[in-house]
Amino acid sequence: MSALEVRGLSASYGTGPAVLRDVTFSALAGQAVAVLGPNGGGKTTLFRALLGELAPTSGTVAIAGDLAYVPQTERARLDFPVGALDVALMGAYARTPWYRRIGATDRRRALDALGRVGLEDRARERFGALSGGQRQRVLIARALVRDARVLLLDEPFAGVDRASERAMVDMLDDLRADGRVLLIATHDIEQARRWDRVLCLRGQQIAYGAPAQALTTSVLEQTYGAEIVVLEDGRRAVAVQHHDHAHQ
Amino acid sequence: MRWLLDPFTAPFMQRALIAVVALGVAGGLLGTWVVLRRLAFFVHAAGSATFPGLAVAGPWGIAPALAALGAALGFAGLLSRLTRGSATSTDAATGLLLAAALALGAVLASDVYPSGTGVDRLLFGTLLGLGDGDLWLAGAVAAAALVASAALARTWLASGFDPAAAPALGIRLARGDWLLLALLAATVVAALPAVGALLASTLLVVPAATARLVTGSLPALLAAAVALALVEGVGGLLLAYHGDLPPGPAIAVIGGGVFALVACADALLRRRRPPEATA
Repeated sequence: MSALEVRGLSASYGTGPAVLRDVTFSALAGQAVAVLGPNGGGKTTLFRALLGELAPTSGTVAIAGDLAYVPQTERARLDFPVGALDVALMGAYARTPWYRRIGATDRRRALDALGRVGLEDRARERFGALSGGQRQRVLIARALVRDARVLLLDEPFAGVDRASERAMVDMLDDLRADGRVLLIATHDIEQARRWDRVLCLRGQQIAYGAPAQALTTSVLEQTYGAEIVVLEDGRRAVAVQHHDHAHQ
Repeated sequence: MRWLLDPFTAPFMQRALIAVVALGVAGGLLGTWVVLRRLAFFVHAAGSATFPGLAVAGPWGIAPALAALGAALGFAGLLSRLTRGSATSTDAATGLLLAAALALGAVLASDVYPSGTGVDRLLFGTLLGLGDGDLWLAGAVAAAALVASAALARTWLASGFDPAAAPALGIRLARGDWLLLALLAATVVAALPAVGALLASTLLVVPAATARLVTGSLPALLAAAVALALVEGVGGLLLAYHGDLPPGPAIAVIGGGVFALVACADALLRRRRPPEATA
């Protein structure tokens, strides 16, 4: 049975035209899906529709379990007086009524989650003082405190150095082993090849499937249009402008 | 010691003390969020936005505090509506509404209802003649600030830290933001009689901004902001009493001086020790 099933999903902002059309895919528990596309291609819109922040104009979404969003770390206010543990504890906000303090169970869970992402010794450190990769891991810990079965990761490798990137890939593999579904928004084709499935978006769904089948030359050209650059050895890379798709 | 205690044997100073202590609690707690959420301009504008309310209070026979509260809450409501999901930034919308409120107030005060008595006093504050109503309002905003700080701290923290991700954490952004603006507007109105509309920032911005320089965690920031607001408020009352000044400017002078001292001391200490290692 699918842990995440999306059928014929279309979405628009307000009464405007559809910015995302006809998205249909499903993922099994433990699968990681790369969501690949250019800036403005609909990756963020898809996430917002899955999160219920944007009402779909058509289509259905079925999710087994809770959903959590792991944003890009540079969107957060790095000058805020919050430690890594405080940020991880935000994952417990939704289930803590306003008149209660956050319980001991959730504090333990937050410390465990920080341990799981390798940052138990940084729990007290100010979030803004951590490196980009460490901040990204704290945000993943926050999603674990939420106990989400489906994680939506928005460009998790942006601004992360190579060593942290390897550590994060191992950590994401570990989350897959738990049976969690990961949706990883990226505009990096090489990154997308690493995962079980790839969903190519450019305003609408271009392709969905295993990377070897889905990432054909024609699909990449449809996904990226003129932005694509063909390397000499026949492999492809993408000319990427810096992402900024928060205001769509 | 007499310099310190004698002034408070006078009943009008006891009333001023009660008002400043209540406003210090509210100002320190809410001021923390003003500084973290960058709402200092809103606080200043909310004070000035009470002008149209004050201009019509006398002619319409409404209590000035009530009219000011209506104007300030209307200002907060319009601002939160204008900025919700739109391209207008909070700063630009605040400036726009501030100009509109001042223009409306000026027209009402000069042409429609020329007898704008009491307006001057409410713009700069007074030690004399704080009524029971003023004290009750100050007490009420202090109580509301305490309750809201406990109940809404998580909402305000998460939505200030990363507004784009907050809804996915179960945070209701619009409600939390509107409550913060409404509470700030009410606190500004409660501060009008004692410190005046133009100097509401002395209790709502300056102590928390000073505390922000030297604290690293939210609980420490809240505690230090309240402590500073109380010390600066009471110090300002003494200065006003002995120097025969209005209390608003006296508190502002002390607050500004403390900020300058703390900022200089912090800069000196930072120069002496090596910068913190960032991992």
